[in-house]
Amino acid sequence: MKQMIENIEVRAKEELFINIHPIQAAGRLTPEAMKAVIAYGDGYSTCDWCRKPFRLDKIQRPPIDEFHAELAKFVGMDQARVVPGARRGFQAVVSSLVEKGDSVIVSSLAHYTEFLAVEDAGGIVKEVPLNEKNVVTGENTAQKIEKVKKETGKLPKLIMMDHFDYMFGNEHDIHGIAKVAKEYGIPFLANCAYSLGVMPINGREMGANFLVGSGHKSFASPAPSGILATTNEWTEKVFRTTQMVGDVTKRKFGIKEVEMMGCTLMGANLIAMMASFPAVRERVKHWDDEIKKINYFMDKFLKIEGNKVLSEMPRKHTLTKVDTTGSFDKIARTHKRRGFFFSDELKERRIVGEFAGATRQWKLNTYGLTWNQIKYLAQAFQDIAKKYGINVA
Amino acid sequence: MTEKAVEETFVALFALIDLRQIFRDTKPTYQFSDEQKRQIVEIIEKVRHSLDVIEKELMK
Repeated sequence: MKQMIENIEVRAKEELFINIHPIQAAGRLTPEAMKAVIAYGDGYSTCDWCRKPFRLDKIQRPPIDEFHAELAKFVGMDQARVVPGARRGFQAVVSSLVEKGDSVIVSSLAHYTEFLAVEDAGGIVKEVPLNEKNVVTGENTAQKIEKVKKETGKLPKLIMMDHFDYMFGNEHDIHGIAKVAKEYGIPFLANCAYSLGVMPINGREMGANFLVGSGHKSFASPAPSGILATTNEWTEKVFRTTQMVGDVTKRKFGIKEVEMMGCTLMGANLIAMMASFPAVRERVKHWDDEIKKINYFMDKFLKIEGNKVLSEMPRKHTLTKVDTTGSFDKIARTHKRRGFFFSDELKERRIVGEFAGATRQWKLNTYGLTWNQIKYLAQAFQDIAKKYGINVA
Repeated sequence: MTEKAVEETFVALFALIDLRQIFRDTKPTYQFSDEQKRQIVEIIEKVRHSLDVIEKELMK
């Protein structure tokens, strides 16, 4: 493939290969978003028509204000902001609610950026253990709250829980956890980085006070991009505007939101999110088909002797952790290319995105593949197995 | 030169993005359906037309 400019190659992975990378699948751009990147790539491109009151979410041309309103409706909340990644959504909420020494309840499968957000605010994470199915339940969350209360004499300031986690792609008891949060009067943030944008999500029905999504993980948008949404009750707290006055100049910037650092996601990233939005709105209606596809693939995958699935089954998400220690890893132990033999075989079949060299536990994601591609993928795995004498039922 | 050449540059770029999407939808075997074949012809014609307009505009 030709280089775009010196030392930067054209990335044509998505045009040339089936990409099963666990976190890249649902962030692939729609054609509309690709066009937005071309047309709005210049730095302050979204600011051509920025008029009073000079804030990103108030811009009417292109209709950024309307997008924010529609986005809030789409996720079943009152207010939404775009942010540079889900992590900045966690950070905004934690920074608004948590003070030094406060406890924050998170999952034992929490994303590392949830840890960082708490650390940044001087708080302390308290992890809820998983049950035997690697799922966080409302019951376990309640037990953890009681434990924290006993140890510190105070209730946690926030519960931050993943809807689907990054490790197994398992669905956690988000409704049960929200109910527990409500009973204890603790604000609840639902981390929907792996669900908002691929399946129908309604924060209010979920019982969330805050909803966080990822543009580049699940909203067919460039990185970094994300969504933070909340209810009217919390808007003034998290989206509070600056009160600061310059001591010499007496300058004030009243409309700017402190946690958002004024304007948030400008330029091509925002316009690409907006451009993908109609397709995203449509695609969440077809989540069932994505689930059918991953379960079809898993059915074929498990026909290979020694293969296991570590995520909950049947699959409720396309992100899945598998274990091939009893199959492909056996070959890797004596192969001159070790674990890379498997990557070589996949690449030869125009499949990429596995963790190169890994033949024990690894993750894949089939989101967005067509049925033809899913069938091709399943056949390719079985063909590799047969080539190396592994039984396929 | 008028705005037309610039406009057609974007039309051509966007049409090629649509072609890019067809590659994404059909990789790695690129077995096109009748509908996709029709779309490919349409895209090529659109790009060719845009290039003709651009050439005419720039060579005036």
